[in-house]
Amino acid sequence: MDLRVRLGKLELRNPIILASGILGLSGSQLRRVGEYGFGGLTTKSYTIEARRGYDTPILAYVKCGLLNAVGLENPGYRELARVRESLKDVGIPIIVSIAGSKVDEFTTIASYVDELGFNAIELNLSCPHVEGMGLELGDDPNYVYKIVSGVSSIVSIPVYVKIGLHRDIMATVGKSLDGGAEGITAINTIRALAIDVYARKPVLSNVYGGLSGPAIHPIAVRIVYDIYREYGIPIIGVGGVSSWDDVIEFILAGASAVGVGTVIASKGLDVVREILDGIKTYMMDEGFKELSELIGYANK
Amino acid sequence: MYLTGYDISILRFTWGVIEDILNHSKSIKSFNIRVREPRDLDPGQFIMLWIPGLEEVPLSPSYYDGSLMRITVMKRGPTTEAIHRLRIGDRVFYRGPFGNGFKVSNKGRYLLVGGGYGASPIIYTAHKIREYGYEAMYVEGVKTESDALFIDEAKSLGLDTILVTEDGSSGIKGLVTDYIEEVINEYDYLLGCGPEGMLLKLLELCNRYGVECQLSFEAIVKCGVGICGSCELYNTGLLVCRDGPVFDSRILSRYLGGV
Ligand SMILES: Cc1cc2nc3c(=O)[nH]c(=O)nc-3n(C[C@H](O)[C@H](O)[C@H](O)COP(=O)(O)OP(=O)(O)OC[C@H]3O[C@@H](n4cnc5c(N)ncnc54)[C@H](O)[C@@H]3O)c2cc1C
Ligand SMILES: Cc1cc2nc3c(=O)[nH]c(=O)nc-3n(C[C@H](O)[C@H](O)[C@H](O)COP(=O)(O)O)c2cc1C
Ligand code: FES
Repeated sequence: MDLRVRLGKLELRNPIILASGILGLSGSQLRRVGEYGFGGLTTKSYTIEARRGYDTPILAYVKCGLLNAVGLENPGYRELARVRESLKDVGIPIIVSIAGSKVDEFTTIASYVDELGFNAIELNLSCPHVEGMGLELGDDPNYVYKIVSGVSSIVSIPVYVKIGLHRDIMATVGKSLDGGAEGITAINTIRALAIDVYARKPVLSNVYGGLSGPAIHPIAVRIVYDIYREYGIPIIGVGGVSSWDDVIEFILAGASAVGVGTVIASKGLDVVREILDGIKTYMMDEGFKELSELIGYANK
Repeated sequence: MYLTGYDISILRFTWGVIEDILNHSKSIKSFNIRVREPRDLDPGQFIMLWIPGLEEVPLSPSYYDGSLMRITVMKRGPTTEAIHRLRIGDRVFYRGPFGNGFKVSNKGRYLLVGGGYGASPIIYTAHKIREYGYEAMYVEGVKTESDALFIDEAKSLGLDTILVTEDGSSGIKGLVTDYIEEVINEYDYLLGCGPEGMLLKLLELCNRYGVECQLSFEAIVKCGVGICGSCELYNTGLLVCRDGPVFDSRILSRYLGGV
């Protein structure tokens, strides 16, 4: 059974990638996560300056998933040198997620990431709860083009654009590709709100947060399917994976790799093994030898 | 560790009503809270207590019986100050329990060590150990006599009880860790919670004398369920909220090595 996939220029031993923002704050965290069998890891989104993040509560429970408003907490991009150092020998591709508000912030961090020898860059243009550093950027196709072309023209590693529920998703994707992105990561969390009925107040200190988990899975599948159909490019499908069949679904829709996040809160890191076993059984039962045969299958 | 599932519905807030307040000292108070919803809570596990409009903070209850929960809180910053202003009859919101507590299923002689408000999960553990009928000694280390928290309670549980004060105003004078070094040989297990310096010293003693220990560590807890990464223990990759807050000597020695 061959679980290897090609994600553009990257070779992955399997398609499961740690989604950005889940335990990717430090090299030691990523190192530990790397021991659980992932095909690749994405760091937390790094910014120019260190960010403390929002006050607690940063997480809200809803019946169909989680809301988070972490507020892009991170130690600042200079810390990436130490992250790289402690990940020297993990043997799987590391994707660095970058957030910012201006083109030069993205390019400064991106060239540093390239210099340090990381494997790919993910531009987070879709964080739904930090003003001026997320969703609005991705909503503006012309600005998307500026950021992506600025970054792509100065780095040698693949660039992915992480999108969310933008006003015109296909325009954002199109401009990302025009700007030189190799592929798309879809999707980020969706802006949402939870109110505690006894406290009679929003649960999150930031009021608004990003919805992740099972609730967003079918939306993410739709978006991956549409992008693959229109452009046939490498896609990292992310959103609401809770078991192996959700991963297969993303791959059938056109994803070459699949990010997992929220499920780690409930199932722990061992969920990777459970997912990989499920995929193998499925391939055996259904008579597939190579997982890559399935990419975009439902679209054909 | 971290391999098993977790019921994340513990992230749903619930609440209780303050029934009684005890002033231990100027900076530490205990609150007895009648809870609305019983949730299993082992000694050493923690809750996130939320003051709507302010933050939520991690606290390890000092007693719990499924209906009554006691928290013991030191005034430190805005949220703990707000907790100190709460009155009888007020509602408090919390979620959890989170993390792994003290494991006291093995028969043997236990040495229980609490430093400052760190005595909070230790006294709750003492109640459990009494239920199981194991032998235990309760040791509390504080700066001065008026900071002592649960000495009478430990005595009433029938435990050997020792107070260690830095200034010698009551009990034994000195650092609690110096006292522990004198008696550690007589015990099979050591359970501890308190300031970082105390914990690291206890770990060193346990390693030196071959005593198994479980120690409860602090870090900045935000998500509580092991995804945000804010509560990493030193640079180990271990998460206080999910792998801890109570870690055993095996894990600590493996990850901390010579700290
Ligand atoms: C597992 C665990 C159990 C705890 N149990 C108790 C207890 O039983 N009784 C008790 O009095 N205290 C306990 N604490 C410490 C308590 O959570 C902090 O004192 C409290 O968060 C301070 O909040 P503040 O707003 O009053 O002060 P702030 O001014 O916000 O902070 C004061 C100091 O408290 C610490 N702190 C701040 N925010 C957090 C956070 N989110 N998580 C952890 N530490 C923080 C930092 O060291 C900070 O410098 C526990 C901490 C942990 C991690
Ligand atoms: C706690 C938390 C923090 C996140 N932080 C980031 C981040 O820093 N950058 C980013 O691009 N996405 C971030 N995300 C979004 C995830 O990468 C992912 O796109 C989203 O959660 C959907 O996947 P899931 O349902 O598997 O969690 C975060 C998600 C969560 C739950
Ligand atoms: S507090 Fe988020 S990982 Fe522990």
